[in-house]
Amino acid sequence: MKKPIITFARWGNYTIAFKTLFEQLGLEVIPPEKTNSQTIAEGAKIAPEMYCFPMKVTLGNYLPALKKGANTIFMVQNVGGSCRQRYYGVIQEKVLKEAGHDINFLDFRAAPKDIYSAIKKISNASFLQIVKAARFFFKKLRLIEKIEKMAQYYRPREIEKGMTDKILTESFSKLEELKKEKDFPKLKREILKKLSEIKIEKNKDMPKVALVGEIYTVCDPTINFEVESKLGREGIEVHREMDITYHLKKLIFPWKDWIIQRKINPYLKSTVGGHGRDAIYEMLHYIKEDFDGIIHLLPMSCMPEITVRPILEKIHQESGIPFLSLSLDEQTAEAGIDTRLEAFIDVVRNHHKKKKL
Amino acid sequence: MTIGIPQALIYWKRPYFWETFFKTLGFKVLLSPSTNKEIVEMGVKVADPETCFSNKVYWGHLLWLDEKCDLIFVPRLKANEEKLEYCPKFFGLPDLAKILVKTPILTETFDERKEKFEKTLEKLGKKLKKNGKEIKRAAEAAFLKERGLREEERQGFFKKIQSKKPKIILVSHPYNLYDDYVNLRMKEKLEKLGAEPIFIDEIPISINQSNQHKSASNIKFHWEFGKEIMEKISQVLNYDITGAIEISSFACGCDAVIKEFVEKEFKQNKIPFLYLMIDEQTGEAGIQTRLEAFMDTI
Repeated sequence: MKKPIITFARWGNYTIAFKTLFEQLGLEVIPPEKTNSQTIAEGAKIAPEMYCFPMKVTLGNYLPALKKGANTIFMVQNVGGSCRQRYYGVIQEKVLKEAGHDINFLDFRAAPKDIYSAIKKISNASFLQIVKAARFFFKKLRLIEKIEKMAQYYRPREIEKGMTDKILTESFSKLEELKKEKDFPKLKREILKKLSEIKIEKNKDMPKVALVGEIYTVCDPTINFEVESKLGREGIEVHREMDITYHLKKLIFPWKDWIIQRKINPYLKSTVGGHGRDAIYEMLHYIKEDFDGIIHLLPMSCMPEITVRPILEKIHQESGIPFLSLSLDEQTAEAGIDTRLEAFIDVVRNHHKKKKL
Repeated sequence: MTIGIPQALIYWKRPYFWETFFKTLGFKVLLSPSTNKEIVEMGVKVADPETCFSNKVYWGHLLWLDEKCDLIFVPRLKANEEKLEYCPKFFGLPDLAKILVKTPILTETFDERKEKFEKTLEKLGKKLKKNGKEIKRAAEAAFLKERGLREEERQGFFKKIQSKKPKIILVSHPYNLYDDYVNLRMKEKLEKLGAEPIFIDEIPISINQSNQHKSASNIKFHWEFGKEIMEKISQVLNYDITGAIEISSFACGCDAVIKEFVEKEFKQNKIPFLYLMIDEQTGEAGIQTRLEAFMDTI
């Protein structure tokens, strides 16, 4: 057997953490290419036409890595319950092989036991090594999520525009280069210190907007055209609940789902796959928290999100909260999204002003 | 009391079953008419623009029934007796229907991972204030009707497969196959072109028959229709088939997955395969041309 060279599905800034995980296991890793219009076009070219967008995006990300010499792809199935995410692996393997790539496709269920055995098989790492790698992975993941959350707070308040995003980019590249776990606390302190040194207007009054919707599009700034930082720079505080930790928590503690179901019972009495229920739950939650707008992000024709969208629209009509639904696919242009966002920002500002009167 | 049943989408999963069930229980049943232009237009107007065409048609039927009956029956189909799931878009149907129409919705969750079908039927009957005996009788009548239908289909299939004409398998969901407006009278068109169209639904699955055909891809679907379609295809490949056409409604998420495997299956056996997508804007002339071209190749 050839020596496995790993690549995997890209997912926003979390890619850094995944890369670390495989590196710590002693595997050779070629990280997937950063998403850009080129990779999206390449992926869409070989993907089935009607398939959902994240599958085409991740497929496009593999291609440059495969060209550089990667021969093994990691993919998790069954993340989304009843939705099509389950078949990403099989379909990607099929189309890549049809496109003439000689690859080894590792497609496993998102259960701790299966993940463990898959990793064990490919890397021959000892139990201790796997546990250590997982620990380092979670440390990095938590830090990434934490600084993303902090950036949401600092961005609209910063005095020198663009400072937060600059520090964020720097921190991510430093974090990516960090190889040893013992250097981690030092870097963490450094990053957090830098972020807290950003000069901000503390008592600025500003509208708040929440991002809800499909987890991949909400979390990956490269495919949602950086909605988060665009809004932030316009002086709007952005919140989002979705991230990997949220998803993992739901996998480990099933009662979170029961709580969600109880809250959304008047609107939807069943799961619809993916994070369909969560979108409704979050929207209701944010309305209670007195937010000034909701942005619903979804990949074009995503089955769960499309099913719940009429319900979200109904909640929007009942409560009067500004609501914008953006569906993304390979034909979405940044200019179009920008125009819609600008119009939405005006609505949000007016809504905020009116509330104070 | 009149119970309205939209004659679209999930209706075709169990045609005649629900009508017989409610009629035997002693209710009047109002079935929405076969799909027509007006219904499709109504549905398209209110539906989410990105949902699948079949769903849009369903909304049209619901709106047609609105305020013409006392209750509209929209079951929530979740899993069948093999514990396989239905399309996730079915899960939210009653909730979305509630938003859409003013007439109260009659619903019950059919999830056989948790509860037997008969048990759920009983619950449904209790909702309508009927006692256990009446419900049992109604259910039996409905099952009987369904079984008769299946048997008829089975005999029809064996007659058709003997035919000398080129035999074309139509692969799709029942709500695309049996709805003549939606599939632009595909069956009629093929017959006019001298072919013998066979619906994938009509193919009986016989367990004892030795299966000589080997599947091209061993994929396991968690969708009931996915499994059914793959099984029936491998069954029908034992016979002499001339060609296959898959019909899929626009933006159908499940078909995007299934199509890949259906196509592979036929291509591996060197059977000509045509993939047609239908939506509210599909023109009859376009379909006619493609069908003629396809018939010329075989």
